[in-house]
Amino acid sequence: MTRRLILISAAGILAIFLALPVATLLGRAVGSGGLVAAVGSPAVLAALSLSLATTAASLCLIVLFGTPLAFVLARRRFRGSGLVETVVDLPLVLPPSVAGLALLLVFGRRGLLGGALDAFGITIPFTALAVILAQVFVAAPFYVRAARAGIAGVPRDLEDAARADGASEAGVFRHVMVPLALPALGAGLVMSWARSLGEFGATILFAGNFAGRTQTLPLVVYAELGSADLEAAIAAATVLVLAAVGVLVAVRLARRGRAVDLASAG
Amino acid sequence: MTRAPSWPAAGILALTAVAVLAACGSAIATSGTMGRTVLTVFAAASLADALAATESYRSATDTTIVLSTDSSTTLRTQIEQGAAADAFLAADTANPDTLAAAGLVDGDVVPFAGTLLAIVVPSANPAGIASPFDLARPGIKVVAAGARVPISSYAMTLLENLATLPGAPAGFVAGYAANVVSHEDNVRAALAKVELGEADAAIVYASDAAASSAVRTIAISAQANVVATYAAVVPTTAVAPAAGHAFIKWLAGPDGQAALARFGFEPAP
Repeated sequence: MTRRLILISAAGILAIFLALPVATLLGRAVGSGGLVAAVGSPAVLAALSLSLATTAASLCLIVLFGTPLAFVLARRRFRGSGLVETVVDLPLVLPPSVAGLALLLVFGRRGLLGGALDAFGITIPFTALAVILAQVFVAAPFYVRAARAGIAGVPRDLEDAARADGASEAGVFRHVMVPLALPALGAGLVMSWARSLGEFGATILFAGNFAGRTQTLPLVVYAELGSADLEAAIAAATVLVLAAVGVLVAVRLARRGRAVDLASAG
Repeated sequence: MTRAPSWPAAGILALTAVAVLAACGSAIATSGTMGRTVLTVFAAASLADALAATESYRSATDTTIVLSTDSSTTLRTQIEQGAAADAFLAADTANPDTLAAAGLVDGDVVPFAGTLLAIVVPSANPAGIASPFDLARPGIKVVAAGARVPISSYAMTLLENLATLPGAPAGFVAGYAANVVSHEDNVRAALAKVELGEADAAIVYASDAAASSAVRTIAISAQANVVATYAAVVPTTAVAPAAGHAFIKWLAGPDGQAALARFGFEPAP
């Protein structure tokens, strides 16, 4: 009985530790009434629309380039495929500030490619493009990993059956593989979006902080704290918490809806 | 399909947890230094180098200084939220005054240093900035600090002073504002963007400019330049307020002033 008590209290301590800060934040936001006022503030609205626009662009790039990469990793064994998988996973464990610094060293004005881009009149740092690149860098692995597992989980027999019935390779991809892998692709996409939306470290280093241009919601949280405006910071944070909760609920629903085991896709 | 853990397993789990906690606890305890005074200083980012070089004070008083540097406004917010600081050294008088007005200060607001402003450009000066008026030239990338960071109000005064000088371009202040590409969290972050060459120019403290070998300064006429006043307080959140008062007294005294002067600071105006 005591051991059971120890187990439950140890488990409860961590659960409470994880829940309490977020619950307090939401409580402050609702209780002070500042949420309604601050969500209507120009800084938060501008950041919200910038966050939505940049994450939408990031997701397009991630799907466009991530799906072929996931397909290759799922279906082709080649020399160095392990290395490619490691490279894809790396941003998951890198501190975002490292990602921001590394992006600066490549795309900065004095960076590896920055000089060549400058010659074409393209400067990336301090622009919305820098925000998008930072988001793609940190968030793409979530989609690629999920999509790779989803594609790998499609039974080859079904594809072969479709081919035997005269389906082209493109037809197999469109009508067999994508529908069967869809829950995994969707879950990966949603996680990717959440990570893009929450991206902070790489953005502030690489894209800077300019309201309406590069200041996304997480940067508002930080900037408003620096301006001693706690209420605005809490409001922006609340929007992010609600988005994160929405994402997790969406992933759970997607998981329940299909028999495909998405746990293996994480 | 996970099974509920068996009770012996739970026991081992609990023991492991206790062992880990004990190890963490002892690690935290030994990281403090025995018998020495530990002084927690919250300081404006621009003071980072000068405070890192206060060995004479530390050895003379047997003090370990734990330093947290950021924008003065960020630090003030942290103190308002209960962060324990034995001394708060701000790059202005407004932030300490705000704390004092809220009753969060033990004793007086002590002005202890001043510094002029400087315009810095990367050593290579890719934008070819030759005079302060070039800051308003279209196409220049300027990084600034956030609106509530102390440097920004000094910089605004400087810009307004420059705009009144003979030869100032029309709409100088607006031209400068249009060139700002980022509002960095503190003045050191703005300086870093210039050092990296990502920005063409920034207005920083003369003490920051002196500390960096990767930037050049553009001369500002003495009649337009602005002196920033640094002021210190002991917050009521202090764990060792006596040590905080002693340190601020030292900073404002001859030895502290000499230490600050080595990093380009001047006496408080």
